[in-house]
Amino acid sequence: MSHFDYSELEIAIREDIPATYAAYWQRLAAPGNWWTGTERVAIAQETRNALTCAFCAERKQALSPYGVAGKHDHSGVLDERVVDVVHRIITDQNRITQAFVDDNAANGLSKPAYVELVGIAVTVFSIDEFHRALGVPVEALPEPSVGEPSGYTPPNLVSDMGFVPTIPAEGATANEADLWQPGFAHNVVRALSLVPDAVRDWHKVAGAQYLSLPGMQNMVQDENRSINRMQMELLAGRVSSVNECFY
Amino acid sequence: MTTETEVDLQGVNGDAAGAATGIEHGAELMSFAESLAQRDEYGLARSRTALRQAAGDKVLVDAAGVAANFQRMVRIADSIGIPFDNMQSDFVNSIQTELNLTRFASAQHSLADIQ
Repeated sequence: MSHFDYSELEIAIREDIPATYAAYWQRLAAPGNWWTGTERVAIAQETRNALTCAFCAERKQALSPYGVAGKHDHSGVLDERVVDVVHRIITDQNRITQAFVDDNAANGLSKPAYVELVGIAVTVFSIDEFHRALGVPVEALPEPSVGEPSGYTPPNLVSDMGFVPTIPAEGATANEADLWQPGFAHNVVRALSLVPDAVRDWHKVAGAQYLSLPGMQNMVQDENRSINRMQMELLAGRVSSVNECFY
Repeated sequence: MTTETEVDLQGVNGDAAGAATGIEHGAELMSFAESLAQRDEYGLARSRTALRQAAGDKVLVDAAGVAANFQRMVRIADSIGIPFDNMQSDFVNSIQTELNLTRFASAQHSLADIQ
């Protein structure tokens, strides 16, 4: 099956966008570091289920996310705790805390598995949001591939920021030497580095939707974009403000 | 390199006149991003049409990409609890103050380090 075929659309889509999305769909279907292909695609499905989940809608209105009890609407493939985490990331992300991540880790959702899950949830969500922005139906999820997760953990981890260990700015060496160049290790780039492949996906999808990491240093206009940097940052700022994101 | 263009940061907070100050199609872009993030489907349809009519298909596609990208970025930042990189900068602090960003719960990830 061919994914992300935009040839019938009324508007032309830059060619690198469907190519990047299709390549991500292949990686989504394959085993990751901590989840099987079946689980990864199930996580992707839960990002969609979260948007129509009645419990998520009720919890979003509550003063505290722990002030209401209920069950999520979900597909039944993943453990309830995992479903809850995916739904929180999509519908109530700015009330995620260190205690939430630590409690999940103490109850079977390890921090590396959490980071891989975050990477999947946000990437699928952003691809879906691109479609919604253009009024285009979301893409069918891929068929999972068989195989087992690698269990790979990078060396050189530190706990100097955020809820999970990360690779420090100067620690992207050996297997991780491609993650960032010296001077390009902003916190948001390091955020998912407990699972290096999640950072690689970050780069690839951001490079198609927004700018490549080196391209982000160009404060005027990328030659392959029809909008300049001020226009981009206005879009970015308004989305971040509506989401109540300080970063 | 800078463009020496005067802009009004209140466009980020949803002020249409501010968004239009110094930024081509700023009001249409701001409305498009806002309606996407607010999941306002009626508003999104209207702002998509308005942006397309004002700026054309290429701008619409690139704007959709950027807005979608930041729907992802905000969730990475908040899910991992990362602090802002440069909280000691007076320039950064002035922007944060002008936009009143400390009203957001996620500000605690950055403010905790400097308190």
